[in-house]
Amino acid sequence: MSDKFSRRDFLKLAGVGAATTAIVTGCGPASRYVQREPYMKMPEYNYNGLSTYYATTCRECAAGCGLVARTMQGRALKIEGNASHPLNLGKTCARGQATLQGLYNPDRVTDPIKRARGSASAEKMTWDAATQVVADALKKYKPDQIAFLVGTAPDHLFDLIADLATATGMNAPVRFGALSMFDARATLSKAAENLLGKSGLPFFDVGGAQMVFSFGANFLETWLSPVSYTRGFSVLRDGQTKRRGNFVQFEARMSATGGKADEWIPLRPGTEALVALAIGRLASELRGGSLPRAFAGVDPADAAAKSGIKLETLKRLANIFAKSTGALAIPGGAALGQSNGLAVAEAVLALNAIAGNFGKPGGVFFSALAPTQTEYQRPASAKEMQDFVNQLTAGKFKALFVHGVNPVFELPASLNFKAALQGVEQVISFATFPDETALESDYVFPDHHGLESWGYQRVATGASQPVLSGSQPTVVPYYNTQATVDVLLAATKLAGGKFAQALPFKDEVEFLRSKVAPLMSEADGFFSALDINTFMAYFQQHGGWWKTSDGRGVPNVADILNRDLKGAEATFAGEGEFFFTPFVSPTLAEAGANKPWLQELPDAATTVMWNTWVEINPITAEELGVNDDDVVRIVSEVGTLEVTVYRYPAIRPDTIAMPFGQGHTAYGRYAANRGVNPADLLGANFNEAGDLAFAGMKVKIEKTGKVQPLSRLESIMGVYGVGMGKE
Amino acid sequence: MIKRLFDWLKQPSGLIAAGIVVLALFGLAAYGISWTQRSPEQPIQFPHNTHITIGVQCLYCHPSAARGPVSGIPTQAKCWGCHRQIAKTDTSPLLAPLKQAVESNTPIKWVPVFHASDFVQFNHRAHVAAGQNCENCHGDLSQMTVAEMPQVINMGFCLKCHIKVAGADQAKFLKLTDCGTCHY
Amino acid sequence: MATETKPSETNSSAEHIGKWGMVIDQDLCTGCQACVAACAMENNISFVGEEDSGYGRSMHWIRIERFWEGVYPEIKMTPNQPMLCQQCLSAPCEPVCPAYATVHSLAEHINLQVYNRCVGTRYCGNNCPYQMRSFNWRDYERPKPLDNQLNPDVTVRQRGVMEKCTFCIQRINKAEDAAKAEGREIADGEFTTACAQVCPANAIVFGRTDNPESFVSQLARIHGHGVKHLEELGTLPNVTYFKGG
Repeated sequence: MSDKFSRRDFLKLAGVGAATTAIVTGCGPASRYVQREPYMKMPEYNYNGLSTYYATTCRECAAGCGLVARTMQGRALKIEGNASHPLNLGKTCARGQATLQGLYNPDRVTDPIKRARGSASAEKMTWDAATQVVADALKKYKPDQIAFLVGTAPDHLFDLIADLATATGMNAPVRFGALSMFDARATLSKAAENLLGKSGLPFFDVGGAQMVFSFGANFLETWLSPVSYTRGFSVLRDGQTKRRGNFVQFEARMSATGGKADEWIPLRPGTEALVALAIGRLASELRGGSLPRAFAGVDPADAAAKSGIKLETLKRLANIFAKSTGALAIPGGAALGQSNGLAVAEAVLALNAIAGNFGKPGGVFFSALAPTQTEYQRPASAKEMQDFVNQLTAGKFKALFVHGVNPVFELPASLNFKAALQGVEQVISFATFPDETALESDYVFPDHHGLESWGYQRVATGASQPVLSGSQPTVVPYYNTQATVDVLLAATKLAGGKFAQALPFKDEVEFLRSKVAPLMSEADGFFSALDINTFMAYFQQHGGWWKTSDGRGVPNVADILNRDLKGAEATFAGEGEFFFTPFVSPTLAEAGANKPWLQELPDAATTVMWNTWVEINPITAEELGVNDDDVVRIVSEVGTLEVTVYRYPAIRPDTIAMPFGQGHTAYGRYAANRGVNPADLLGANFNEAGDLAFAGMKVKIEKTGKVQPLSRLESIMGVYGVGMGKE
Repeated sequence: MIKRLFDWLKQPSGLIAAGIVVLALFGLAAYGISWTQRSPEQPIQFPHNTHITIGVQCLYCHPSAARGPVSGIPTQAKCWGCHRQIAKTDTSPLLAPLKQAVESNTPIKWVPVFHASDFVQFNHRAHVAAGQNCENCHGDLSQMTVAEMPQVINMGFCLKCHIKVAGADQAKFLKLTDCGTCHY
Repeated sequence: MATETKPSETNSSAEHIGKWGMVIDQDLCTGCQACVAACAMENNISFVGEEDSGYGRSMHWIRIERFWEGVYPEIKMTPNQPMLCQQCLSAPCEPVCPAYATVHSLAEHINLQVYNRCVGTRYCGNNCPYQMRSFNWRDYERPKPLDNQLNPDVTVRQRGVMEKCTFCIQRINKAEDAAKAEGREIADGEFTTACAQVCPANAIVFGRTDNPESFVSQLARIHGHGVKHLEELGTLPNVTYFKGG
């Protein structure tokens, strides 16, 4: 009994009792209908009724916030933020809170299965057989015929596959996710390469600023690292310890972020670059001196006319930007998701030169790279995904492994990922949930849920320090799942040859140690240790390792005002009167649709729950002859969708918007057959950097005559006084 | 038909038969109710009296009572700590279920006797810290094998003691008789 | 005891001090719904599904209220308003319960909801001017293994029972017990409610309003623009809102 058990061994041994209780009345010892199964071997530090807390990392998006999971008797009960984790400092977003509904979801994949593609039914396999399937795929095909498609988060699985690829000649793993697509990370990175000296993900120090001009960046919702940016926003707004900061949001549709802005500028979609450059020019003129070449190519009056924003407004905005002691301009969101998204990003970045804020508090930095990382590794852009899909169609890859991403749902249907799978002989999914891509796979070998997993993840942006966020199991895996890293390690051993030599690790924990050990010789760590066992113990206990020193990079912008920046309007694909602006649902994001409490959360701007809607300006709605709850058909150049109308007062009359996150056809009972997916309307249009021009289409609206009521938290009378004589 | 039945019932033989039926039903009901008042069957006939006699303290097996809300039922490992060294474990039929459970690595399914209702959040630590003896509520276990309810434990039982303990201390009285102290 | 007061006497809330209170900064609240999710996870709140939420039967112990001012293009979203049970010192929900299920705690000075007493008349929900009480209209399904997540410190409610925000009384009691175990007072900030703990914008602050040095009391004092919603009704709410801007 005094043997040293590793965490893994203990977790395998501990019996988790499930007390079965029944409703009883007071006739006698009610307890006779109850059974209690105590632990067989309780950990020494445990007492019945007292909770044990484990530090780990959230896997709901790629931000990498640190969590502390409260567990009792082997069940995870509540998630809190890790108060010492530099990215989120003890806070989480709504999706992090609901991650337990993923862990204990009734529709998880419970065993390794084999299926016919597209068929809901499947036959269970043993893990030995599953490992053999993976090993066979690795052996049978040439290394360059094997592809791995993984999620956006740069985690230990990505590192394992990357190492395997380097050693065996396999293709490097491709990282992708819907959030990274809507974040336009390739555009931000390319703009940084062009203007800031090198490629990398910029970080915008909102907390240190006084006047923020955000061009489409919905940083309070899902953009890049929402918990960290929200903290920055709360510091910006703090009017007690300093002067309250302001922010202005430039977007055609007022997002929840825009709703918090002190001023909303509803500029015409496609004119963001013009407006940014116009403000730059007007601000430079106010300053006096020679006009920088960057802003010389734009005519403010022309920009005003094209954007629909009055010239006086542009002048006023230029004035406050120029005069502010802490001005900051941020490009993001739908502004970058247009044909000229890169030009927009560059124009907005250049505005920061007027503020002179590069590398200064309240300004633009390069995000701190994770410890031991030397350069930013960005996820694949939509164009790169299109190339990947073309390779799949052409049959270049015989085996495709998918983990942590659901491309059949997340990629626009027009990119034809599902059809492209026909060119692949074997599709193996490691999905934890029965999502659309798992449904189109030959095998599903389910990974543990994030809360059941070992690992680490690099924090790409949002923290000032370099952070490697750690994960550990908070509970024993609930089902017959296996860590994908363990499956790959076992399979490579079976495959032998180069594959076995590439990964000489007994299991996932040994692999993690090998990756974390180099941190022991890094300086400025917030903890240090002389031996690997102690170091790993601290790593697990604290939820990762990070430096105490600032790791943000200073952009090299010597030349920025001398560039010839393009001030053109965006071009829009498709025919129709309306600009189409999809946005990521702040409550559902990429992967939240299968968690019932996320579905029940009201959308911040519309308060709609459990469904998809299309936002139409009330005047436009009246002209079209549609009202709330009417179903309309949206027609784009690649598809049509029927969706319910929500009359939204804070959107341009020529623009409509739809949330992304619903419209699943699989993924469990709470997600399936609910709402529609706006990605089905998006064509294969890209901006200069290869990101999807998701807001770069025009669409038509047709009435259907159907009605489908939306569930809204706000009173049905709330917005327009319906029923109160104020119509 | 019914009329003939009623006529027969008015006869002495009918009355006696009806009386026997009523008594039988009453007996069944009484048995049924008495059955609900009995302590439930336990997987192992654990003798508290034996263990107390040899000097085992309540808090040795139920340490959580002094530290948290629930006292809990001890793990097999706790029993096995001593019983693996006792010769009788291998021979006694009473201990066979324990041996079997430990060797096959299956949990023992105890039935809790002191089981607070769902809507009561009972906190052991506060009571132990206030100097309450286990016997005050759980009865004298040195006289029992498996645990049995010594008296009905309902809200009246709790409140009586709470009021007594609070005495003249107003703040304590308000806290101990506050609904939110136990029901939330 | 809740102070009896006529509506006209409630222009200053300074005298009516409870024990636990909150300060909510509407200028900071982004409407992200993290507090709503955190509260639901902490307090075993059932989700009701699309149809029932459409009928207004969703069970949100805290909700973010959003209104509009003006018309396009001069339209503004009013500052997000996280609304929860105000734990009124003079609660209109208390005197109307025939079963004494919603009583005022004389120890913690908040409004309690005793689930086992509630018979479901819903008079209290009717009386609440903030409309913050949720009723369990059905036994809402929690398919296995979702029930593994249930917090053992909070009763799981059956249908027919009213429920509402309790200021995380389970956390209050736990902290008081821990402090008593160590023979000390509860330190300010030692624990907080689930909503305040999660809020990424730090918009919600919870603490002892009867201690002038607690963070929540200091905030209320320094800020100066605090309002109490529907104060004119004489409910003496324990939550102060800063409108900001």
